[in-house]
Order: sequence, then C-alpha cells, then structure tokens
Amino acid sequence: MISEGRGGRRGGRTSSARASTSMTTRHALLPFLQSQSQTALTRLYQRPSSCLSIFRLLGPIERQIVMNLLWLEASVPTSALASWVSREGKTPFDDALATLTALHILANAAVKLTLSPAFKTSMRHAVTGGGASASFGVPADLDEKRAPPSVEALDNHALERWETILHYMVSSGTGQTPSRPSQGVLYLLQRSGLMAPNIGQQLQITSPGFQFLLHTPHAQLWELLLQYLQMVEERQMDLVEVLSFLFMLSTMELGRDYSTEFLSETQKAMLEDLRDYGLIWQRKANSRRFCPTRLATTLTSSLPPLPTAAGTGAGSSGQAQGFIILETNYRLYAYTDNPLQTAVLNLFVSVKSRFPNLVVGSITRDSVRKALANGITAEQIISYLTTYAHPQMRKNKPLLPVTVQDQIRLWELERNRVKSQEGYLYTQFASHADYEYVLNYAKQLDTVLWENSAKRCFFGRLEGHANIRGFIERRTGGNPGVNG
Amino acid sequence: MNNASHLSLILDLSPSQWHLSAAPSNTHPLPFKTFLSHVLTFLNSHIAQMHENSLAVFGALPGKSIMLYSSSDVSGGPEVPADSNAYRPFKLMNSIVARNIEAELELLETMGDEPPVALVGALTKALCYINRITHTTSGSSAEDSAVAADPRILILSVSPDLSSSYIPIMNSIFSAQKNKIIIDVCKVYGADTVFLQQAAHLTGGSYIDLERRDALLQYLVMSFLPPPTMRQFIAVPKQDKVDFRAACFCHKNIVDIGFVCSVCLSIFCSPVPVCSTCRTKFPMKTLQRLNASRPAVPSANGSANGTPRPPSKPATPMSASLR
Repeated sequence: MISEGRGGRRGGRTSSARASTSMTTRHALLPFLQSQSQTALTRLYQRPSSCLSIFRLLGPIERQIVMNLLWLEASVPTSALASWVSREGKTPFDDALATLTALHILANAAVKLTLSPAFKTSMRHAVTGGGASASFGVPADLDEKRAPPSVEALDNHALERWETILHYMVSSGTGQTPSRPSQGVLYLLQRSGLMAPNIGQQLQITSPGFQFLLHTPHAQLWELLLQYLQMVEERQMDLVEVLSFLFMLSTMELGRDYSTEFLSETQKAMLEDLRDYGLIWQRKANSRRFCPTRLATTLTSSLPPLPTAAGTGAGSSGQAQGFIILETNYRLYAYTDNPLQTAVLNLFVSVKSRFPNLVVGSITRDSVRKALANGITAEQIISYLTTYAHPQMRKNKPLLPVTVQDQIRLWELERNRVKSQEGYLYTQFASHADYEYVLNYAKQLDTVLWENSAKRCFFGRLEGHANIRGFIERRTGGNPGVNG
Repeated sequence: MNNASHLSLILDLSPSQWHLSAAPSNTHPLPFKTFLSHVLTFLNSHIAQMHENSLAVFGALPGKSIMLYSSSDVSGGPEVPADSNAYRPFKLMNSIVARNIEAELELLETMGDEPPVALVGALTKALCYINRITHTTSGSSAEDSAVAADPRILILSVSPDLSSSYIPIMNSIFSAQKNKIIIDVCKVYGADTVFLQQAAHLTGGSYIDLERRDALLQYLVMSFLPPPTMRQFIAVPKQDKVDFRAACFCHKNIVDIGFVCSVCLSIFCSPVPVCSTCRTKFPMKTLQRLNASRPAVPSANGSANGTPRPPSKPATPMSASLR
C-alpha cells in the first residue's frame, strides 16, 4: 500500500567513502591531533622531528603561513597577513588559520598571529639543525661486524609483513589458511572493526574491512596507525611518546640502523608492534638496533609511493604501481602473480583463467553485486581500478572506459531503488474536507512524504506524528481515525 | 595544488660584487657568509615543505657556471657524519652546497682579472636540467610526472646587466615561456637589471629589489617559497613598471630607440644598409628617410652608455622599440 517499506539500506554508507576522498585534501591524522589537549600538543612540539612531520601533513597554505611566521619575533596583525592573500584565497586562508589554531600551532588567530613558542623553537631547530633533542634518531655505532641490511632486504621485509596482514584479511572465511599475523595485529584488526569473530570464533572480514582492502597502501597504513593511537591510552602508554616515535621514524633514513638506547620505555615497547606491522626491522627481538623500512620513512610524504607495498609481488620487476588493463567489453587483464592482488581482484571480478603472470577475468553484474553486498561501493571499485591501471591504460582519456564506469555505478544504483523512512500512515478520514484540513496542516510542518487523495490517506514523517496526532485530537475531540 | 614542485636556484657568485656588498658603507651590509646561511635556510624550507620537492642549485661564477647541487643525484657527496639533531637531507644538501662553493671560490683566487659572471650559462643549465627531469619522469607514467611539475627558477643576482648577453638571455626567456617555467628574480645587491626584470615579467615570475637586505630570508620565504600553483591564492609581489629596453645587436648597447630588421627582427642602434644577421639589403631611400627621422640631437640617442632611464617610446613609424 505504501512504497516506503522498511527493507532498507543503511544510511551511513556514504560517510566512509567521503572520508577517504577527503584524504587527498586533509590528512587523516590532523583531526586526531586536534582532539588532543594543548599540553599534550605542546609536549609533542618540543621535538623538532615531530614539528617537521606535522608541518608536512599540513596543507600548502598552512605550510606557507607557518613559514612566513617562523622567523618573525614579533606577532603580526591578522589583517596584515590577510591582505597578502588574493580574493580566491580568502576562504582557504581562513580555514588554514582555523586548522593551525586548533592544532595550537598558532597561539591565537583572532587579532594577532604568532606561532606558539614551543613550535617556533623546535621548527627553527628542524630547519636549521641544532638543539640537543636528538629527535631525528640516534644512529647506531657503525663498525660492528654486522652491516645494516640492504634497502631491498628492508623492502622485502616490509612487503612481506604488510601483505601477510592484508592476505590474512582477504582470505578469511574462504576456507584457505594463509599464515597468520601476530596476536597484536589480529587484536588491532578486530578493534578497528575491519574483522570480527563469526559464530565459530573465527575472525572474518567485515564490510569496512573490504573497503579497507581497496584503499591505497598509504591510507591503509594510517588507518591502522590511527587505530593503534586510539588504543594507546588503554594500554597505559604515553600518547606523546608514541606519536613522537612515529614522527621520528618518518624522518629517519632508509637503510641506516639506529640505536634503541635512547628510546624511552614506551617506545621500546612499541618496537615490537611496529615490527609486526613491517614498519621497522630488527635482527632479533632484543636487538639493540633497528632499521626503519620504507613504510615508516614515507609516512609523511603526501604522494603514496610506497613502492614496496604497491609493487607487484616479485618486487624485482621495475614496473611498480599499475598492472590492470580494463577493456570496454568488461574484460579485465591483470598482470600479476601476487596472491594478495589476485585475491583483492576476486572481490569484484569473476576470474576466468589464471596464468603464471596474468589473471584474466571480467566484470559482471553478479561479481559487482557480490562486492556491493560486501559493503564495497562503486566509487571504491573505480578508484581501485584507476590507482592500479597499467601504464598502457594511462594513455587513454578518460583512463577507464566510460561504459564500464557507468555500468558499475548503475549496478550500485540498482540496489538503491528502495529507500526506507520511518513514519506513520494516516487513513480512514471521515470526510474529504477532514482529510484536506489535516493534510494542509501536515504540509505546513513539512512532514508529508506521500499522499493519495483518492484513498484519503497520507504518510508522514516520524517527527511530525506528535503534532499531527494532537491536531487531529483537538479537532475531533475524541478518537480520531488514525492508523499508527 | 598539493603537488611537489621543483626549484632551480641560481646563485650569482661574483667575488667583486660580494666584496662591495659587504662593505660597511652600505645601509645594510650583507656579507656573503650571512647571505649563504639565509639561502641555505630557505632551501631547507623548500625541501621541508614536502618530501617530494626537488631542488637544484647552480652557481654563476666569473667566466663559468657550474651545478652545485641536485637532489636527483646526491651520490658522490661527502660522507656527512650522522647527527641526531638534524634532519639528514637538510644537512647533506647544506654541506654539499657549501663545500662546492668553497672549492670553486678557492679556484678563482688564482685568477687575476675578473671576467663577468656567466649568468647565461647557469640559466641555460637550469633550463636544461628542468627539461631533463620533466621528460624522464613523464616518460614512465602519468603519476610520476606530478613529481616534477611546477618547475621554477630563482635567480639571486648581485651583478649588473651585461649587455652582450642580451640575445642569449632573451632566448632563455623564450624557452622558459615555452616550457611554462617561471623565472623569479631577487636583486640582492646593485642597481636594477633590465634583462632580468624582463625575464621575470615575461615568464610570470616576480622581481624583487631588496630594501632591507638584512631581512633577506623573510623576503625569500614570503615571495619565493610559494610554488606557482599556489600563487593564485597568495599575492606575490610583482613589479609595477618594467624597463622594456633592448640591447642592439651591433654594439650591444641598451637603446631607447632601435631600428629593427624587417626580415629577421634584429635590433640595431642606427640604420644599417645590410642586416648583419640575415644579410638583407635595405633600399637606400629607406635608410635616408630613417636617418632623417632620427632625433637630431645625438645625446637623445645617448642611452648607448647604458644608463638606466625610464623608457621613452617616440612614435616613429619605421623604428620600433622592442617589446
């Protein structure tokens, strides 16, 4: 009788997709930092490496503002600096000031601009070098009998750890049993809601987990690290120590080993976790030196190069990034021998045949609907295909065939035909005048979702029910013909 | 807007000019050492902006130009001892630049007479370098080309104009225009240079003559740190009037009124019967008419000595001052 049934779709779906697109404009860590107390941030800003890393996470205009103010001793009137942005830059400039104030990098942005003293001192040290904070990592003594591992060895180590995690996620529930990551990683995956135990107490991937798999490695890494930071308090660790260690790692040099001697207790405890994620490498668990891997040293670069994690499985072949060729006839060729990438493709492609270095499949309605049912959105599929498109595909404009893109979106829309909305149906009005009268009132409240004057009934929003009910009761003075 | 950008810096390393600049008779004496520390801090800020920002430093020395540093090739540098208080890329770059400048200046001391600085050489090298990095990266994949996008050149000049280098500088400007490279100029010491003003104007860069030379770093950071894509949001100072005078091809003098070959557009300070560039012969009648129409007083043509003066553009039909 009424089209607004309850067999609905969840409304919160789009929020995560939006969050991932805003990654390009704003780093995921910044909101987390903003939620921290001023004292915590001031402690964090004591260390030049933290300042440098946070500075790199900021947007371009924010960085420029910080640089302009860095060498000034006196404060600058806000209007003076504002006169220096063009008309189009007004909104971004104000946003930038708000962000910097929220991060307590700017002391107060209302009238006068000045950097907070702690940030200013440390940032100056970071740019010129100097101070005695040892925040860029103390290198281990060189001439021991064991040289630090080569960059390739580090890359392989990081790749292996990272892919173990992803592969475990993607193949959970499929019956395969790949090597399990460590207990700490499993706990983190469970806490972040990327995996959840099913009836048999086996961990199984959730719909956010599926979405996670399609993100870029850089975004995936930060997602896990943010989750790690959320857990820090529970584990009675000092958040500032944890953050500054991460930032220190991001300013370290690849292929150099550093001493653990000068780390605090918290940071030494972190070594084990970071080793599990593949961010650092240690010869033995109790070794007194560690090497950051490429996952760690690229934490604050804005482009996600991470050649290790994005590359093809072999790691030796130079053509990192792209391996997917998609044709207008929905056929897909993926030049990969990496089981992880094959498994991820399997989420939304029906694989026809596999060769030693090639997977051939096609995108079908069923395969895409399966992915949609897992909580993956059409946009995520398209952005995954775009990110990993083969260099040959990059010559095309637009990069992906429009037919395929549109069709994937249409398949998604297919599932969104029905929208659910809670409310009340009002029927059995005594007369048409009655009906019109109540309907007009409901229209004034803007709560009418659907009406049918022939049947003398209409459907109103949940919020408006109390008002309409009261209105009808006042009018009839008795029991109205309302069908809740 | 959040792409990496490339900066090619050209340092004018003329010992005599720097000696003059450091003289205490200036209102704000700026010795080379202070200058270098400001510049290195500025370069650090450029790299600090983004992990992927690239950098090349060129030096224009008397009689020759060299590349002092490039971020794409840091191997072969000195082994810098690791320091836990400094970000290693900064330290490495600073020590390489400082060491190379020192080595070059040491070589100079043996020379007697000082030839003019090879600014053109450095500019050309910078252009070639940018051309190379944009081409190698765009060849591999479209994603990588973002790394080298947004190239710009910054010239820190202390030497006066060298009128003999007019043609090569103009040619460099045209190739920079073609490759969409912005040329920024900061005049650290000395009078305005006409050619570099034109370079900045024609490529859409900014030309700044320092007023407070002790605040060099602040000037650099505020005007030259924003990459070209950001300059639509941030107003970078531009010069309001530009000296557009050209140098003649025959005597290399800066002229107010020039005579332009109608075939190849070469500029001469006086009417010539045969164009020295393309060998075109001009009819005697035209020459006579042009000679007649020239300003009678020779001193009106006397900008041949290159003194700066505001451009005057008389409306002589056959003569043209080059724009």
